[in-house]
Amino acid sequence: MRSTLFVPLTAGFFLLAVLAHLGFFDWTRLSRGFRNLGILGADMVPPDLGILPVASAALWETVEMSFAGTLLGFLASLPLSILGTRRLFSTWVSSLARFIAAGIRTVPVLLWAIVFVILVGLGPLAGTFGIAAYTVGYLAKIYADLFEGTDPEIMEAVQSTGASKLQLVRFVIIPEAANAVLAQVLFMLEYNIRASSILGFVGAGGLGFVIQIYLQSLDYRRLATVLLLVLVLVLVMDGISAWLRKRFLLSAHAG
Amino acid sequence: MTDNGSAPVALLAERIWFSFRNHDWVLKDVSLSIPAGKHTVIMGPSGTGKTTLLRVLAGLLKPNTGQVRVFGQPTQELKPRELSALVGYVPQQLGLVRNLSALDNVLMGSLGRLSDSRALLGLFPRDEIEKARAALEMMGIGHKSSAQVFHLSGGERQRVAIARTLLQRPRIVVADEFASDLDLALASEILARIRRAAEQEEITFIMSMHRIGLARQFGDAVLALRNGELGAGFIGNEILETPSVEAPL
Repeated sequence: MRSTLFVPLTAGFFLLAVLAHLGFFDWTRLSRGFRNLGILGADMVPPDLGILPVASAALWETVEMSFAGTLLGFLASLPLSILGTRRLFSTWVSSLARFIAAGIRTVPVLLWAIVFVILVGLGPLAGTFGIAAYTVGYLAKIYADLFEGTDPEIMEAVQSTGASKLQLVRFVIIPEAANAVLAQVLFMLEYNIRASSILGFVGAGGLGFVIQIYLQSLDYRRLATVLLLVLVLVLVMDGISAWLRKRFLLSAHAG
Repeated sequence: MTDNGSAPVALLAERIWFSFRNHDWVLKDVSLSIPAGKHTVIMGPSGTGKTTLLRVLAGLLKPNTGQVRVFGQPTQELKPRELSALVGYVPQQLGLVRNLSALDNVLMGSLGRLSDSRALLGLFPRDEIEKARAALEMMGIGHKSSAQVFHLSGGERQRVAIARTLLQRPRIVVADEFASDLDLALASEILARIRRAAEQEEITFIMSMHRIGLARQFGDAVLALRNGELGAGFIGNEILETPSVEAPL
């Protein structure tokens, strides 16, 4: 009994200590926060719809960046993940590929955007590359693990027809993993749409730039319009990916 | 095992010993000789080494000692594509790619003859596609050629797997626990089709099974494997003697 209580009690104690350190129990600060929330909310209505043309253009840029970045990252992740599949390549090759993917993944997407702003200058191109880079790091790891899990019996059966490594990838590994491959791309696309709406903060194009300007000039009615647009975009994306999942993923499991 | 005079020896296994771990023998001094055209069934309780024996015979596992010759050629000396021209293999779970159509799965039988660049683009030669359709037709499942394997029944999948090895055009096909989970009538019908196809294509089948009725229907020879040793078997009504077993050094 004592040992079962020890872990949750210790964890609870540490949580409280950390929250106290972060200022969670500073009631004056918190109540001020609630008051400010009211003021901010009041300042946001009614949203200024006059900026819709400007915001829509920025929104479209965000959509372009996330689609192009996700697709580029997906295409680049395929060869890297295949090289990272231990069953196909030597430990040396697969470890190197996995190490590269891990290295790319360690850098957050916002930092990648800054790197590409330095490399190719301000604007959506830097954002696109930043998204692509993060996508490669993430998908290459997920796909390599997925490809390694291919049913060994299918591999052996097709290998015994005289199929080469490349043919195994084309006819066994990718088709067997197709559903999960698609599901992960959709997940990444949704993630990138959200991520790309803040890349403008570092000059990498899209809605973030507009959000930053209205935030800094305390123009909350215009900011409200932009946030509404982000909300609509995320809802539409969720709808599209739900439809794609239903269309391609569920039907494959129906049999 | 059998000595059929005129027919050449399709598969010869000489004193095979096999273990996954040191001296924990799965196969103990297994020798057999299968003449071309004599379909052979290996029977035995589960866990007795049937799958291991079949994989050794198909050249997928290397025995610790002894060797397997296919039409005179030691399997260990053959390159994968040379081996695939001689031996086809159908695993117990069939090894079909579930997301692809029946026809695509059958076409994989021709991969050993296809260049990487054509394969990557999925460009199978027209005559291979026609032969693949004919193989599905021969197994009585031509009408399902564009159906995803996901949507096929157990019996239909068995037919697709055999059609794939028919397109591979090997001279021997090794099939593990084939038709084991089908009802008797269906299994019997599929095995009859396989015999017809085998005669037409001059293929020798080696199968493991656990139902004696089916084994006698399909096999020209039936062998019993028990605890990794090849025991008594029979050809027709003639009982074969138990081979002796000695541990190697």
